Amino acid sequence: MRASRGAIDTRVLLGIIVVVIIVAIAAVIATREQPAPQPAPEETTPRATTPTPTATTPTPTKTPEETTPAPAKKIKIAVISDIGGRGDLSFNDMAFKGADDAARDFGVEVLELISKSEADYLPNLRAAARDPDVALIIGVGFLLTDAIYQVAQEFPDKNFAGIDTSVQDKAKQEKGEILPNVLDIKFEEHKGSALVGALACFLLTQYPEYRHVGMVLGIEIPPLWKFEIGFKWGCDWALKYYEQKFGSLPEHLQGMTTKEIVLWVYTGTFSDITKGYEAAKGMYAQGAIAVYNVAGPLGLGINQAVQEIANEKNLEMGPPFWIGVDANQDWLNPGFVIASMMKRVDKGVYYATKLVVDGKFRDFVQRNEGVLILGIGTKIDGELAEGIAMSTLEDLDEFIQFGIEAERLTGKKVLPLPPEEIKSKVEAMRNSVPQWIWDAVKELEDKIRNGEVEVPLPTSQEEVESWRQKLG
Amino acid sequence: MGLASRILETVAQPLLALAIGLAVSALLMAIYGYDPVLAYKALFTGAYGSTYDLMETLAFAVPIMLTGITFAIGVRAGLFNIGAEGQLYMGAIGAVIAGAFLSLPWPLHVLVATLAGMLFGLLWSVGPALLKVFRGVHEVISTIMFNWIAFYLATYLVLYQLAEPGRAEKTYSVLETARYGVLVEGTSLTSVLFVAIAFNIAVNVFLTQTKMGFELRMYGLNPDAARFAGISEKKVIIVSFLIGGLAAGLAGATQVLGRPPTWALYGTLGNVVRLGFEGIGVALIGRNHPIGIIIASLFVGGLRHGGRYMEIEAGIYSELVDAVTGLIIIALAVPEVFEAIKRYRLKRRVAGG
Repeated sequence: MRASRGAIDTRVLLGIIVVVIIVAIAAVIATREQPAPQPAPEETTPRATTPTPTATTPTPTKTPEETTPAPAKKIKIAVISDIGGRGDLSFNDMAFKGADDAARDFGVEVLELISKSEADYLPNLRAAARDPDVALIIGVGFLLTDAIYQVAQEFPDKNFAGIDTSVQDKAKQEKGEILPNVLDIKFEEHKGSALVGALACFLLTQYPEYRHVGMVLGIEIPPLWKFEIGFKWGCDWALKYYEQKFGSLPEHLQGMTTKEIVLWVYTGTFSDITKGYEAAKGMYAQGAIAVYNVAGPLGLGINQAVQEIANEKNLEMGPPFWIGVDANQDWLNPGFVIASMMKRVDKGVYYATKLVVDGKFRDFVQRNEGVLILGIGTKIDGELAEGIAMSTLEDLDEFIQFGIEAERLTGKKVLPLPPEEIKSKVEAMRNSVPQWIWDAVKELEDKIRNGEVEVPLPTSQEEVESWRQKLG
Repeated sequence: MGLASRILETVAQPLLALAIGLAVSALLMAIYGYDPVLAYKALFTGAYGSTYDLMETLAFAVPIMLTGITFAIGVRAGLFNIGAEGQLYMGAIGAVIAGAFLSLPWPLHVLVATLAGMLFGLLWSVGPALLKVFRGVHEVISTIMFNWIAFYLATYLVLYQLAEPGRAEKTYSVLETARYGVLVEGTSLTSVLFVAIAFNIAVNVFLTQTKMGFELRMYGLNPDAARFAGISEKKVIIVSFLIGGLAAGLAGATQVLGRPPTWALYGTLGNVVRLGFEGIGVALIGRNHPIGIIIASLFVGGLRHGGRYMEIEAGIYSELVDAVTGLIIIALAVPEVFEAIKRYRLKRRVAGG
């Protein structure tokens, strides 16, 4: 054994030498390549070379002397995904879409970083913050809360924003004050959920063979309460509206309360698509006219359940329907997605960038305790800045484009039909719903916007329980 | 074999493997229209080019140098133990329970939480070990099954038993008293690095200096001869599994007790997931030798950390970065895989003839 032990030791020693040599070679190559022209990677600088005049030069009558202080310096923003990464056609992709929009409108450069595991959050945030040109770093998803909290303190000169994060809550809890360079961007999902809840229950009044609406939720975490209670409240509002308008509920719903009408379940997962399928299948079997997807990818399972019914009954369009979430998902299965509760993550990224470009970021953070709320009727300094909406036919183009972009990036087929056919199917579906229903939902939206009605926003277990007592 | 030719073989082989890996990856990048030179510059300066980056690379090296041990000590005993993944999850759970729910003074608490992680990893390795020894269940089958059981068990525990109220995406964070200190402010590297290195050295001492270690290696090289020499097969298999379990459990604990910023386990298990399997590559590159594994982990950790700069500086999208670093790791692991196949065939020939 003595000989073999010696052999191993020599090998180890030589292994060390090999690694050193590799590093040395790499270092030599690195230093030698310094002056080489950087081949501009096409993907990171899209259209960014043409800054729009509105962003940097407010006055058209500009003399050469009046040039902005640092005209050559171009602002760069970094967008850091959570482990969902690109290709979800929803949350993360929307954030990158917002960055692309900002690049187009403000002439900023965009740096994209994908986190492969939770261990990447800190190094990715730091790598972005260490880039001297980066002025704003945006973390996408509440999982980045702790990492942003830490890196924002390490780089006090840089600005940070987080989608759905609660960095400032943590700062208040641990330091007793907010961080001056962090903006948490939050969304009023409860309001959007109320709109689709109302739509679902209005639909219910039109089809005597259906007696329920459904909701498939993910893991029961506080952010999901907003969706749950909002949807139920919206349904309740719709039923009351109907009663007032037509005197009483239609025959097939008489004697039923919101509690009995809304079927809902927390599946305990955000990734197991089969669970979404099973839950939705049960709801449709009980007579649900539409099922609201509040579990991200589980929507694909809900879609499968709908598609099976469609195949069985040879349907061209619903009912039954399902309701999309986050992005506009109406195009995923045209004719069977009645609408989507859109949470415009892209707008969050866009507004945060605008605040930085306009030089108002820190001031805004100071005045708003570091939180930007986007929803229905929300404002930034008096100007309407909304981030929650029920999808319309007009939104569809933007999101079909989104699908085309995904097809280009992945080389895979994403759109189920050619764009024109998608549009005509969605339009036909929407036209099959009486116009007064769309008007009524619009009325609710306006009432929410001008504050005539208030959608409940539960923040504790007790509040949720008390709403469940009332609404199911 | 003369010294000169041995040096040649030891140096030339990995260098050749690395060159092939780099060349194939360069070709791949060139096909997709990226500049390989710029990309490699970004990768290697990104991994080792500054103190900060070196610290991050070391932080990525910590867990995989431990899960590498789990696989390597299996191979040294003639086993194919791929159970590090599941044992790692359980180790992280153990560290969370002891770190967040016990109240102890500082140095003691770190120690207890670390040991709890190791203990949980060890316990999770007992199942496959006993199945192998008493029922002859092949360890590949049993460890894969135990990995999945651990995944769902850990997910359940995180989401329903250990979750922090209001922050249900993660468990309670371990208390300050149970955390390893950050070595250089502004980096992710903590003093847990020394624990990991010490563990690897201890395993090396065990293998080379103790009777049990000798028996284990002998059994791995030639089970028939070992049996003939009176070495207990059961003992060797069980010891190999248990040490592997300790290593993987410790790896899980390092990610909870020794890595900022969360000091907890995520509901997705996203801060530990895949580290067990990455250890297999590290073990192969390190020729299943504890010291070789430390060096290999520095290299693989460097790829892991430096990879992000390929995105930043060369604009390469993240999937291609994964492909490139994966190809390099495979190329480096290939020689050891060949060796293993050669050994396996030799053993079969001996047994059969």
